Amino acid sequence: MAQSSALPVEQYNFDIVRRFMIVSMVYGIIGMSVGVYIACELAWPFLNFDIPALTFGRLRPVHTSLVIFGFGGSALFATAYYIVQRTCQARLAFPWLAEFTFWGWTAGVALGVITYMAGFSQGREYAEFEWPLDIAITLVWVAYIVVYVETLRRRTQPHIYVANWFFLAFLLAVALLHIFNNLAVPSGLLKSYSLFAGVQDAMTQWWYGHNAVGFFLTAAFLGMMYYFVPKQAGRPVYSYRLSIIHFWALIFLYMWAGGHHLHWTALPDWVSSLSATFSILLLMPSWGGMINGIMTLSGAWDKLRSDPIMLFLITSLSFYGMSTFEGPLMSLKSVNALSHYTDWTIGHVHSGALGWVALVSFGSFYHLMPRLYETKLYSQTLVYVHFWLATIGIVLYITSMWVAGIGQGLMLRSFDDYGNLAYTFIETVEFMHTPYVWRALGGAFFVAGVLVMAYNMVMTVRASQRERAALEAKLAAKLAKA
Amino acid sequence: MSEQTSEKQTTGAVQTTGHAWDGDLQEYNNPLPRWWLWCFYGTAVFSVLYWFIYPSWPVGQTWLKGFGSVSYTVADKATGKEKEQEFRWNTRSLLLEDLSDAANNQQRKDMLAKVQAAQYDQILKDPKMMEFVRSVGKGLFGDNCAACHGRGGQGVAGMYPNLTDDDWLWGSDMEQIHQTLAQGRKGYMPAFGPVLKPEQLDDVAEYVLVLSSETASNEASERGKAIFHGQVGGCYYCHGADAKGVPSQGAANLTDRIWAIADVPGQKNLQDKKNVVKNFIATGVNNTRIMPPWKDRLSPTDIKLLAVYVRQLGGGKQ
Repeated sequence: MAQSSALPVEQYNFDIVRRFMIVSMVYGIIGMSVGVYIACELAWPFLNFDIPALTFGRLRPVHTSLVIFGFGGSALFATAYYIVQRTCQARLAFPWLAEFTFWGWTAGVALGVITYMAGFSQGREYAEFEWPLDIAITLVWVAYIVVYVETLRRRTQPHIYVANWFFLAFLLAVALLHIFNNLAVPSGLLKSYSLFAGVQDAMTQWWYGHNAVGFFLTAAFLGMMYYFVPKQAGRPVYSYRLSIIHFWALIFLYMWAGGHHLHWTALPDWVSSLSATFSILLLMPSWGGMINGIMTLSGAWDKLRSDPIMLFLITSLSFYGMSTFEGPLMSLKSVNALSHYTDWTIGHVHSGALGWVALVSFGSFYHLMPRLYETKLYSQTLVYVHFWLATIGIVLYITSMWVAGIGQGLMLRSFDDYGNLAYTFIETVEFMHTPYVWRALGGAFFVAGVLVMAYNMVMTVRASQRERAALEAKLAAKLAKA
Repeated sequence: MSEQTSEKQTTGAVQTTGHAWDGDLQEYNNPLPRWWLWCFYGTAVFSVLYWFIYPSWPVGQTWLKGFGSVSYTVADKATGKEKEQEFRWNTRSLLLEDLSDAANNQQRKDMLAKVQAAQYDQILKDPKMMEFVRSVGKGLFGDNCAACHGRGGQGVAGMYPNLTDDDWLWGSDMEQIHQTLAQGRKGYMPAFGPVLKPEQLDDVAEYVLVLSSETASNEASERGKAIFHGQVGGCYYCHGADAKGVPSQGAANLTDRIWAIADVPGQKNLQDKKNVVKNFIATGVNNTRIMPPWKDRLSPTDIKLLAVYVRQLGGGKQ
């Protein structure tokens, strides 16, 4: 087995998976470090040093784009290309086109980040890329769909595995969202005006924004979960029926929920109520994914004691369950009146982003490393170290943001004996200083964990290279003898 | 496909779907968890109730208004009498309800009417009204003025005036404060660099330091005094013959030891103090000391409240 796969053409195209995984790690480390830096800027504003490119306003989209598209996006390319090949038993279609998606995506993210720092932005959250980059991303995305669907078509398996449904939904929905949200009239090389105006523009933006969470950060990562959890556990998925029901419910309901980002604004009340209820309806379909993942381990819970990778995957599902409970709660108008515009939202996003998206990606990467490099993982102990650094980081982050957000929300709605506001805005900012420091510390813990992982990965790759060289030398010696 | 029958299946009761991918990847065919299903139905019931209470589905040119209602007091158009009336739930009626039913709302309304009707000197003498002014003013000042003048009105040395000291560049009369707030102010002092010789600038700076008792009168300060009060410098035009400032010009009192712009207290020795004063006289003030007008951004009542609030921050002279 080991000898046959050492030299000749691999059964699958793992080269592109390896490269996307490395790019994901690199963008992840940069993006999360930028996150820690801007968290520090909020606690100690002098850190922007009055340099425009380093101010919070410019670095914030740098952080979000690097972690969502650079880290998360590349992780999805890597795992989608891996999973579709393995579950279809077909080699990746159109290798040159797949190559184009790699360079296109990597360059697109890099150029986007550079333009933000230079001050070019559409000002649309998570869609700050200016129009030329939007067009480039569209081309890459279409290529991604073509490669994926054609590989699926060439499958030698009669059935399509559930992970692939989620990836397909993600591919189609993101294309739709990206194109409609970025419809704009260019007025220069790096300047454009949205095709929509006023509250319709805001609604389009949050239809996109919420479904970027729903399809990019949820559906696709559920696809990842549906492959790596049962694979790592060595057990069948808990329920096929549940996977069907929660898949269709999730896909149908997410599209309607975006309006909850605009409660108590110029958005008509009826849109607001509908999006609140569709968010409530989303709770159980979201939990369906969590149940299916966690219950896969039913009867083999002892694996959590011996397998740190399983620990990553199951913890990620727990955070997924927690943040998909918190989300519908916050989408109710009355809760939103307290939470909106406060750091509670930031904490909620990070319990999903760090707890769910990042942890499930780390677990999957740890599963992939030995298989992609045909060697043992360098250190199990370091996986445990990473796990605890990450978990402590997330808990610090979320709790400090609950304190900051709920605290500020309560301060902004408290009145004195005359019914006048008891606090000025600036007093709430002063109050948030301490939680901001804790948040930055939490972020630093998380980044430290990723650095430990990167070290583990580099050492694993090195070991693989050494083993391969030794194997080749042995083969050469054998050939020379013969 | 050869690994369809998995030995890993432990229960025996539940079958897999019979498919296998990538070797050992299979799915059990467990039924939907009961609690999950009932909770899902529960969220559906909750949503339907929500649609009945709040405005929800669009229908034709309008939308379902919902049965939820709020009530608050409104003045009857014909009679002018206030009475409680019921309205459909929506963001606007909810806001109006909040405004009309807020805690101690009546007390606030009464106090506001009282302050609106009162003259400045009446407000300043009435502890009850002053308490109310401090309550409203804190928020008004914090949200509108604190960005420059600081949360406590302490200002930023050299840039934004301190409002808590006794020094009033544009006057401490209520009318003057009101005008400062409503119309804004623009500080100006000509640059004397091009007018006076360097030694003359030295002499005037020396005299200014004598005025605020930083140093004793001497030969240089006497020369400076002549320039200050003569036609060469003409400083007395704005700062006054007694150098105590002229509020209508926004000209500073030079005899107190309060420094709005030149950072004299921050300097260690006399030479440095003189240098900062000299540099300031040489460059003057032009387009750097601007208080924006607030009359188009705040209501007359808000400006009135703020004027009193600012006045009580500074104590001030009458």
